[in-house]
Amino acid sequence: MRPENYQAVKLGQSNEYEIFIGPNHPGIEGNYAFRLMLDGDIVVSGKADAGYLHRGFEKLMEGRLWIQNLAIVPRICVPDPAPMEVAYSMAVEEIMGIEAPIRAQWIRTMQLELSRVAAHLFTFGGHAATTGMYTPMFWGVADRDLVLDLFEDFTGGRVYSIYNIPGGVRRELPPEFLQKLSNLLDYLESRQNDYDNLLFTNQVFVDRAKGCGALTQEQALELSVTGPNLRACGLAYDVRRDDPYLVYDELEFDIPIQTAGDAYARILVRRDELFQSIRILRQIIERLPSIKGKIRTPIPNPLSWNVRKGEAYARVESSKGELAYYVVSDGGDKPYRVHVRGPSSMHAVQTLEFLAKGARLEDVAQIMFSLDACPPEVDR
Amino acid sequence: MNKVPIDEILNKVNGIKITHKRKTRIRVDVDADSLPTLLELIKGRASYIHLSAITCVDWIADNQFELVYHVWSYEEKCLISAHTRIDRGSESNPAKYVSVYDLFKPADFFERDIFEMYGVTFIGSPRMEKFILTEWNGVPPMLKDFDAEAYVQETFKWTDYNPDWLQELTDQGGGIAVKPEDIRTAGNTHNMSTHRERDKAKAAAVKANEKMQGWKQ
Repeated sequence: MRPENYQAVKLGQSNEYEIFIGPNHPGIEGNYAFRLMLDGDIVVSGKADAGYLHRGFEKLMEGRLWIQNLAIVPRICVPDPAPMEVAYSMAVEEIMGIEAPIRAQWIRTMQLELSRVAAHLFTFGGHAATTGMYTPMFWGVADRDLVLDLFEDFTGGRVYSIYNIPGGVRRELPPEFLQKLSNLLDYLESRQNDYDNLLFTNQVFVDRAKGCGALTQEQALELSVTGPNLRACGLAYDVRRDDPYLVYDELEFDIPIQTAGDAYARILVRRDELFQSIRILRQIIERLPSIKGKIRTPIPNPLSWNVRKGEAYARVESSKGELAYYVVSDGGDKPYRVHVRGPSSMHAVQTLEFLAKGARLEDVAQIMFSLDACPPEVDR
Repeated sequence: MNKVPIDEILNKVNGIKITHKRKTRIRVDVDADSLPTLLELIKGRASYIHLSAITCVDWIADNQFELVYHVWSYEEKCLISAHTRIDRGSESNPAKYVSVYDLFKPADFFERDIFEMYGVTFIGSPRMEKFILTEWNGVPPMLKDFDAEAYVQETFKWTDYNPDWLQELTDQGGGIAVKPEDIRTAGNTHNMSTHRERDKAKAAAVKANEKMQGWKQ
């Protein structure tokens, strides 16, 4: 809602007062607003106010060709766009009854894990900044940039790759790419100590994050919390392992968990996940050269391509949680319906409102960033 | 306790149609009346506790809305998609359905979203109000009979963009090969012929440009 359309609440005789955070505020991730009712500096109630990033993607997709939608889907979540492309492509493939060649599936897995590394590095910085530490942000963004360089190398796009199409991936990897990737992983691993000293074991940060925004496992399940936020409550659930897609069932990786359920537990889960992603990428570097073959299953001319009647629900594990695409085709050249289930639509609305209640005003920003909420997934 | 197979539980619901799509996906079609019973059964008896999403699909030709409830079980590692159809209603008598908020808390978000985008009122849902489109007063925009492009044409004015530098390029045979308004007036924006026309025009422009350069030399 535009600020001029807000109606101030008249409270009569009360100590409570209303405060708006956002839509442009350093304590809010993206363009999102939060209306808080405060008593002193304790939050009595909070109400999420979305819509600043609503671009009507689901409606737009109904008016565009199947192939054109690939330019739209990654824009739904800026920090972690790769899972969007893959989920959409997987849903269309399921309706078509085709499967991407095995080499394409390995390349997709590599892209997803690289994207997860980039997204987590970004989140460390954002979360640390809400506690007043800005150095991790500079470091995180600088290291993420190195991942983006690799994205540019093999997809052509730094942020929005638009690399996947139904049936496979667009291009073969450039020569020497896996060597570059390996070098980057060496570098990221060498940074582990620095990040630990700067952020994860830093007493200033630990004191602020411990106990902040704690969720029990029951509450998390009731609120449909997924991803690292659920794993921080002690439940080892990961779509990659429990509903395997691509080649995740051939890869070895652990699912890091924490039991405290607070902001500190959440960031520790992300830290461990980053190193699990590096472990997965190392296996991919080892296996990929021996996997030969095509990278695309032929599809009809994309400009006159009618996908047969059907529906599919494709789920992937994005860096934020369970991401799903529900795609319906009526046999036409455009999707009949595309529904995007972003993990943040659960985290940034009900969970955030629930956790903000009773928190102190200065912790609200940290709670939002520790949930790694991505507002465009709410608005779509 | 012996584990009851999921089919046995599902078959307790009247008029159910079960399709096993693959190992982790079950599609279920039920009447609108028995859907809440089904959800209660699979949540209470078969550990399907995670509501992944609720989707609404507007089947305008059948004058129906299809509601799809995607529910996941952490123990069975399986997703049940429960499909049901409700009457599409009309402007004076909007579509209504019963809320499942008391079973699944996240239904609050999804039902509010469907209320806003499709106009389906969920009886018993705690927040049947606007959320994303707080300043929108028109018909629910995701309905198939809401033409977004026509709305844009009526509401916003198109202005010509002809800066000098672009005019110079156009004089040399470059610039915008097909103007947006030509595409719009051609009717269907995304059919094959417009693409071919655009390619043809582009090729012609390139040719003209080459000629021009040749003349310059």
